[in-house]
Order: sequence, then structure tokens, then C-alpha cells
Amino acid sequence: MRAGRSAFATGLWAFPLAAAGLAALSLYRESLGLPVAYLSLLTLVLVWTTQAASWNILSGFSGYFSFGQAAYVGTGAYATAVLYGRHGVSFYLTLLVAAGLCAVLALAIGGLAFRLRSLRGEIFALLTLAVPFILGALARTSRAIDGGQGVPLPVPSFPAQIGLFQDFLYLVGLGVAAGAVWTAFAIAHSRFGWALAAIRDAEPVAEGLGVATFRYKLLALVASAVIGGVGGSVFALYIGFVTVESVFNLNFPLFVIVMSVLGGRTHWLGPVIGAVLVVLLQNRLASSHFESFQLIVLGAILAVLVAVAPDGLTTEVRRRPWPVLGALSGTTLILWLARAPGQPLDWILVGMLVAAVVAVWPGRRRRALSIASAEPAAVAPSSPRPAASLPPASDPAAPPLAPAAPHRAPAAPANPAVLVDCRKVARYFGGVHALEDVTLRIHEGEIVGLVGPNGSGKTTLCSLLSGSLRPTRGHILVAGHDTRALAPHRVAHAGIARTYQIPRPFASMTVRDNVALAVMFGRVRRRLTQARARAEQHLEFVGLGHLAGALPSTLNLHQRQLLEIARALATEPKVLLLDEALAGLNPAEIDVAVEVVRRVHRAGTAIVIVEHLLRVVNQLATRVVVLDRGTVLADGEPRAVMSDPAVIRAYLGRSGARA
Amino acid sequence: MKFLQAALTGMLLGGLHALMAAGLSLSWGVLRIINLTHFGLILLGAYLTFQIASSWHIDPILTLVVTVPVLFAAGALLQWGFDRLAVTELNSLLLSFGLLIIMVQAVSNLWTADFRQMAIDVNPYATGSLSVGRLVFPSTTLIAFALSVLLIGAGHQALQRTFIGRALRAFAMDRTVAAAFGIDHRRISILLAGIAGGSAAVAGMLFALSTALTPFTAFEWFGIVFAVVILGGIGNVVGTLLAGLLVGALSSLASVIHSPATEPFVVFSLIVVALLVRPQGLFARAGGH
Repeated sequence: MRAGRSAFATGLWAFPLAAAGLAALSLYRESLGLPVAYLSLLTLVLVWTTQAASWNILSGFSGYFSFGQAAYVGTGAYATAVLYGRHGVSFYLTLLVAAGLCAVLALAIGGLAFRLRSLRGEIFALLTLAVPFILGALARTSRAIDGGQGVPLPVPSFPAQIGLFQDFLYLVGLGVAAGAVWTAFAIAHSRFGWALAAIRDAEPVAEGLGVATFRYKLLALVASAVIGGVGGSVFALYIGFVTVESVFNLNFPLFVIVMSVLGGRTHWLGPVIGAVLVVLLQNRLASSHFESFQLIVLGAILAVLVAVAPDGLTTEVRRRPWPVLGALSGTTLILWLARAPGQPLDWILVGMLVAAVVAVWPGRRRRALSIASAEPAAVAPSSPRPAASLPPASDPAAPPLAPAAPHRAPAAPANPAVLVDCRKVARYFGGVHALEDVTLRIHEGEIVGLVGPNGSGKTTLCSLLSGSLRPTRGHILVAGHDTRALAPHRVAHAGIARTYQIPRPFASMTVRDNVALAVMFGRVRRRLTQARARAEQHLEFVGLGHLAGALPSTLNLHQRQLLEIARALATEPKVLLLDEALAGLNPAEIDVAVEVVRRVHRAGTAIVIVEHLLRVVNQLATRVVVLDRGTVLADGEPRAVMSDPAVIRAYLGRSGARA
Repeated sequence: MKFLQAALTGMLLGGLHALMAAGLSLSWGVLRIINLTHFGLILLGAYLTFQIASSWHIDPILTLVVTVPVLFAAGALLQWGFDRLAVTELNSLLLSFGLLIIMVQAVSNLWTADFRQMAIDVNPYATGSLSVGRLVFPSTTLIAFALSVLLIGAGHQALQRTFIGRALRAFAMDRTVAAAFGIDHRRISILLAGIAGGSAAVAGMLFALSTALTPFTAFEWFGIVFAVVILGGIGNVVGTLLAGLLVGALSSLASVIHSPATEPFVVFSLIVVALLVRPQGLFARAGGH
């Protein structure tokens, strides 16, 4: 996926070529000897390809599953049925109306649903399930739309050279399907596609790195709805008589989900492969009098695939294309040569099914996986690299480190600028007062150690500072802007970056692309190639340069923590929040991490470090803030704070509690 | 009077919806499985009641002796499968969607897609009714309400009082910690799924008492039942009952005041409003996340 420029350039000529080839099937149908029935079957494949591609743009790319595909199909179909079928408006014009109506519908759904802070994927899925029922009820009762009678569509006029109505329908379907697949392809190869992949992998992290997740999700929903609606118009023409039952039908979400899951939902080509396979299978089942088992077979395919190969066929085929293609062509050829019973379509279908089984065969897949994961692991030294072997800092102006002396802010200016200003901040979770009346300033050039017992509100404060939580009371100003008024990605652009206590890398991207994503969506937008080059620098800076091509799943905890830091640095923050970035590391690894933190600081970034190890805090911090039960207990110079009796009491237990 | 009748009838029906929702809600909240096959089990329960009562000529309520154990086993078996496959919450939605399609189609193949209803001679409750002043309540609705409230109340008591109930609640809050204290998640989740299956058998029987059955009703239940689950708070049994009564009354009122077609609007705007205002459910206790 998203291989970059070259793949995109290939698409630029491959797409018109493929579309022209498919169009030629109709234009030269008679000389090719292609029966009209086959053309109709191909039209059906195209209709479903459009819908599956539409579903996949939102649900496959961003991970927000929708059960509401029928809402777009129905809206599009009724736009065409009412305007063209009843009022004689031009058919082509109704395609535009369908697109417009679906865009409005999507904006309404997304504007409402994606605004919900508590929205989870499952809730979104159930919300979208409701929409077709509401619209269907509306269509059934409104006489202006349907009124329960159904709406017939006449055959539109088209140039005589095209031939039969079936030819016309095929060409319209081809145009719309090509547009749909092209859109999915273009999205997959753009910033938009990267943003959606990041949302699918770890949405809050993406937002924290500067990705405008709300905008991208809404955009994906609109793109999906528009394609689904235009596809619905074509479907209306295909069935010729539109009823509520035929378009606001649960078969739409079922079919598109099966197609995309079968084909592979993270790849733009997945829905196409799925649509071809499923439509062909359905057609063959119907013609061999197994109609009543069609849905059972589909349901079974969905259930088995989710359990066995949730990544879908595209991923499996790309993992080892030759055996699969061999199985497909081999089986088909043998059946053809052996003059097996049935039509050529049956042979092709059997070939495809055999190929699909070869693709998802579990034993071989596991072996393929272990080879893939062994490669980067062989390159990666499993033991931590000693601090001394760190590559030199990329900033040559940085002064050499005095190793013995405790680290102090290098010649802090007399009046350092205030970067973050918390004023009387409180945060409650229901009845739990996580933070109360916290007033705190972070200046340029500081390393603030944030310490306190478990549950004292350190992580909550980090989330408030990075904008992912909003204060219940009080204000946080970042570079003069109140975070209440900013979306979290804006806070990131204002100069705050954080790492997570439990590292949350984007699992589907390489280490390099994890960092490159943060560069792309930073304060200054950058292109992929530039972003990758910068990502390499950031990885070198934290000492992960040798692992740039590995997948995050192959990294150990220490390396993941460093990746978190590199990714946060890629946003070019003014303040870096390290939430227990050293937790669970061994002493040697801690030394490496401490060294990295110092280098970040020397390069001019203020740091807030949440840490339990007082040794590390003493080594690094220029100032220490102690939180206890949600309030600031002490704030000042490390040595003074550490000897404060109140602080000692908070750490060693309250006097008289058990003495 | 018309409105009072509508509101009360709606609430009585809401009790049944709450019973259907309770199993789903517990499965979602405790087991982290959004089990759409629950609808399939209810459907199966309804058809089994219809079939057994019709062919053996016994009281439909007595069919529970057969259907409850059968669906208990079915629910437990499905959970065993989910557990073996270690499906995530979102994948459970997909997987059970596939299984539900199979179940509905299988029911349709076995009993046809036409409407089926128990004949009057095997269903003694079909025609009875209770009059209070000018209000009239069909006895099937009353039975459904009484049984539903009874079962939900018993379930709530079991969760609060018994050792297994406490273990389940601990498991819902934090599975890792619960496991560390010796709670065997596999046995407990299979037991819970079995009980949910049993409740599906009762709900199915109650449906068969009052309504003509068709396989695709299973999909029509989606809207109202998920509304009840979400409004009540996921995993909250008592909340489910209250939400069921509320949704029942409101949608019944809407259909009397305006037209039956407005019902879905009421139900789904309720969901949206609830999610906006109280994402943890309308009846969740304050203080939880």
C-alpha cells in the first residue's frame, strides 16, 4: 500500500488502459462473440464494485465500519427514480443530484457522529445501521418520494452507435465504477490516505501528532457517500423499478462488507477482487438452483474470513503472488482441457476459489509471516546500544556535554519565554477529582520533572497539556492560545508533543513511515519524499536509524519508547511531554534514553518528564513539580523540593497513618 | 385516555424489548462481544415455540422446558467459539453478523419466509385481555411484561448478590485483575452467554405468543433493541429495563400522535441525543467513566 510516487505514476496510465479495455468488450461485443448475458453479469460486477469501493474508502481505510451503505444506495436510487422516472429530468443530471444529496446526508451524519468525543467504532457502526431504516420509512410514507407503490424508470435515450440498452448500462456502470476505484486509488496514494491509515491504527495518537482527524474522517465519509449515491442511481437504472425494499436493503451492507473483507479492506484493489468473486459466486449459485443457500454461503464466507484471514485476499496474494496466480490459471486450464461440465464461467470461478484457498492457507501463511519478521530482527541488535555508540547529534552547534556535572539549563536567558501557562486548572472524571487548582508555567529551556505517587494526576496533566483532554475548570495557554478553543491537532501545531506511557506506534507502517507521518502533518505540511528524508534524520537522532525499515511489531520496548520520542520530535515541538518514557527499561537502556533526552534539550526543546525514578529526575531536571492527589505539592529547584518534608511524607506515607 | 392507553401499552411492550436487550447488553459490557447472533437465537426461540406447541399441542409457555436448555447450549457454544478465536470487539460485530445471516436464512429455508402464527386452539392467551376502567391490555402483552421484569430483576439480584455475579462484575471492570484473583474467564463467560441464550428463548416464546413470525423480523429488531442497550448503558441490566420502558412509551405515543412511520425517528433521535448528552447511558450511576 501507498508505495509512493512510482506506483501513482503507474496508475496514471494503467487506469485509462484498463477502462478502455473493458469498454472495448461492449463496443466490439459482436465481433468478440460475447453473449449479452455475460455483459449483464459484468454490469452487475461493476455496480457492486462501485458500492464496495465506496464502503472501503471510509470503513476500510479509516477503520470506522458502516452498516449504512443502503442509505446512499437508496438516496441515489430515489433521486434518479423521482426526478428522472417521474418528472422527466435528464438522467445524467440526476447523477449529480444523487451525489449532492448524499454529500449533505454524509455531512449530517458525520457532523453529528464524529463530534461525539465518546464515539467508538462500534457505536458508529450501530448509528449507521439506523440511517437506512429512517430513510426507508420516510420514502415509504412520503407520496412525493414513493408512497409504497414503487417507481418505474423508462429506458433513457442514448446514441445509437452504443447498441443495446445493456451496452449503454454497461458503459455507464463502467464509468462510475472506474471513477470509484480511481478515487480509492488516488486517496490511498495521497496525504489523505496516510491520514486515514493513521486514524485506523491509532486515532488519538494521530490527532496528537497534528492530523486533523475530524476533517479527514468527514471527508472520507462524504467521498464514500457520494460514490455510493451515484452508484445507487446506476443501480436504479439496472433494476428498472425502484421500491423501498429493493434499495433500502440490508443486503447492501452485507454484500459490501463481505466483498471488502474478502478482497482486503486496507488496499484499494481489495473491494474489486471481492466484488468479482462474490458476484460470480452468487450468479453461479443462482443458476444451479441454490438460491436459498446464497446468503448462507455469504454469511459463512464473512464469518470464516474474519476468523482466519482478517486482512483479506489482496494482502495474502501480495505476500506470494505466484502460487496463487498459478493455482488460478492452472485449475481453470485443466478444467477447460478436461472439458469439465458447466460453462467457462464455472471453470473460472472454481479456479478463483482454489486460488483463494491457496492464498489464505494457514500453515504456509504463518511461515511466510515468520520469515518477514525475522528479517528486520536479524538486523536489529537485541541488546541496547551503549550510550557511547550513539551517532553524533545532527545539530553541530550543540555544545559538548559535561558528563560528570548534573545537567543544568545551558545559560538560561534572564527572562525565558513562557511556553505553557496553566491557570487554576481542574479536571474531574465524574466524581473523581483527578486535578484540582493546578497552576504551573513551563519556560523555554527547562526540563521539568513531574513526579508524584501513582494516581496523583500526572498522566491526566499530560493529556490536558497536549489538548486530548479539556480542563473542567481553568485555562491552559499554549504560546498564548487557550487550548479549550483548539482541537488537539492544533495544540500539536502550537508546539506541544507527547509520548505515551505504553507506546502506541502505527502498526501498519514501518518505523520510518511512523515518523514521516508526523513530519507530513506537522506545522509545515511536507510531501512524502521530504518527510521520509527528515524522518531518517530524527531516527538517527534517537539512535534508531538502523531500524527505519522495520515494522513496529518487531521492536522491543526500549526501541518503541525511542520511536515514540522520534515521532514526537518530528512535529518540531517547543515542549516535549515524556510520559514515563523510561518505564520498564533496564539500567543500560535508561542511560541511553537519558542521553537522548539531553540531546533533545540541547537542540532547544523544553521538556516535561514524568518519571518515578528519582535518580533520573535528579540527573535531568532543572525544576521539579510534585503532584499529590491532584494538587501541586511543591514546585522549585530539585534539591530543595526533594528535601521538602511535605514531599517526603507524600512519598513515604502520611504521618500517623499506620505508625 | 387514548394517549394513556398508548403510553401504557408501549411500556408493557418495552419490557419485552428490555428482555431482548439485556442479554445483548451483558454480552457487550461484560464479554466485550457485540453478539448479533442474539437476535438469531431469539428468532430460533420463537420458531421453536411455534413448532413444538403446534405439533405437540401443548401450552406454548411449557415449550420453555425444551427451548431454554437448547438455546442455553447454543449461546454457550457460540461464546466458546468467540473465545477460541479471540475476536476483537469490532470483529465480533462482523463475525456475528455473518452468523446471523446464516441463522436467518436457515430459519427461512426451514419454515418458509411467510408469516407463521400459532393456531388459536394451541395458544390460549391469544384472545384474552384485561380491562381496567376504559383501558384494555391484551394478556399476551401482560404476560410478556411480567416475565421480562421478573427475569431482569432476578438477573440483577444474581449479579449483585451471588458470588458468580460479583465475579462477573469484577471481570467486566478489569479482566486482567479479575483473572489475577483466580476468576476463570472462560467458564464464567460461557455461563453468561448460556444464560443470555436462555433469556433469548424466553423472549422468543413471548414473541411467538403475540405476533406472527417471519424470519426477517430479526433485522427489524435491531433498531429498537440497540436503542435500549445504548440508552440503558452498556452492561447495565436495570438501566436496560428503564430504557425499554421509556423507549416503548415514547415510540408508542409517537405512533399514536403522528403516524407509525415516525417511530424510527423517535427511537433513533433518542439514541443520538443520549450519545450526545450521556455517552455512558441515561441510567448509568454517576461517577463511572
